[in-house]
Amino acid sequence: MSTSAHVQSPLMNAQGDHGSSRSLLWSVLALAVGGVFVYAGALKAWDPVRFARDIQNFHILPWSIAIRVAFYLPWLEIVTGLALITGFLRTGALAILSALMLIFIGATIAAHARGINLDCGCFGSVSKGLSFTSHMLIDLAILGTLIALWILPARVGRRQP
Amino acid sequence: MRGVLRQTFALLGLAFLPAIGQAVYERERVAWSEQAMTEDEVTVEQARAWGDSVLWVDARPEEQFQQQHIPGAILLNEDRWQELLPEMLNTWSPEKRTVVYCSTQSCSLSHAVARRLRDEAQLKNIYVLHGGWQKWLETNK
Repeated sequence: MSTSAHVQSPLMNAQGDHGSSRSLLWSVLALAVGGVFVYAGALKAWDPVRFARDIQNFHILPWSIAIRVAFYLPWLEIVTGLALITGFLRTGALAILSALMLIFIGATIAAHARGINLDCGCFGSVSKGLSFTSHMLIDLAILGTLIALWILPARVGRRQP
Repeated sequence: MRGVLRQTFALLGLAFLPAIGQAVYERERVAWSEQAMTEDEVTVEQARAWGDSVLWVDARPEEQFQQQHIPGAILLNEDRWQELLPEMLNTWSPEKRTVVYCSTQSCSLSHAVARRLRDEAQLKNIYVLHGGWQKWLETNK
């Protein structure tokens, strides 16, 4: 019976793959980016009213919607961040986090273009005073890591004959 | 592809559970239809009634302050905090009430500056103008 090592990216298998071990690099990157989302989500879930004010600062959503988004979005970040770290529903987590980053980047660019002095509230007091360039660099770094997670093999295992 | 969609919807649904739980828990504290005044906010009318005992602090970027501001207001924003804070402290006195404002109700700059004045400068009687500069203009038409 011959066996050969093989790798699987999340694009190749969204169902999970029993009998294989997680790629170390993938796990480290997933821990880093998932940890960022869990941390950012927890900060915002602690004070959703303050986060709603930050959302309104983008001048995109009315208060009645911003406050509802402020209650939901932090938990979505926490749940998907944990999913990415643990590997449970990881492809769905990657899809959601990638979409979120594209929305954040789009909203930041739109706000900057309209001359809005932005405090995104993304990381609580840590992100206070960050310039537009710093915001974009952080967002693009996270998006780049997510793209890497899409491409890199998530699992290293043995193919059945 | 169907697997990705299934996982995505599963996570979107999972996140609803704690979010709804928190929303129910905090339902009395939150203004769901329109933004309510926070404890440290004052209306234009309230601040005006305080008369000369008010120290107006403009938390907007300097360009906007230079264009127009509340008469007597001084500039103090987070961009030039270290430089402008000493100037503000020279004008401040303990018997005065400090009212910080920014552009609109939705901007958070005034709340950020007010927090720093309380936490870092240890000042008391710090308020935020509800509705900000926009509300001031509306009430002065």
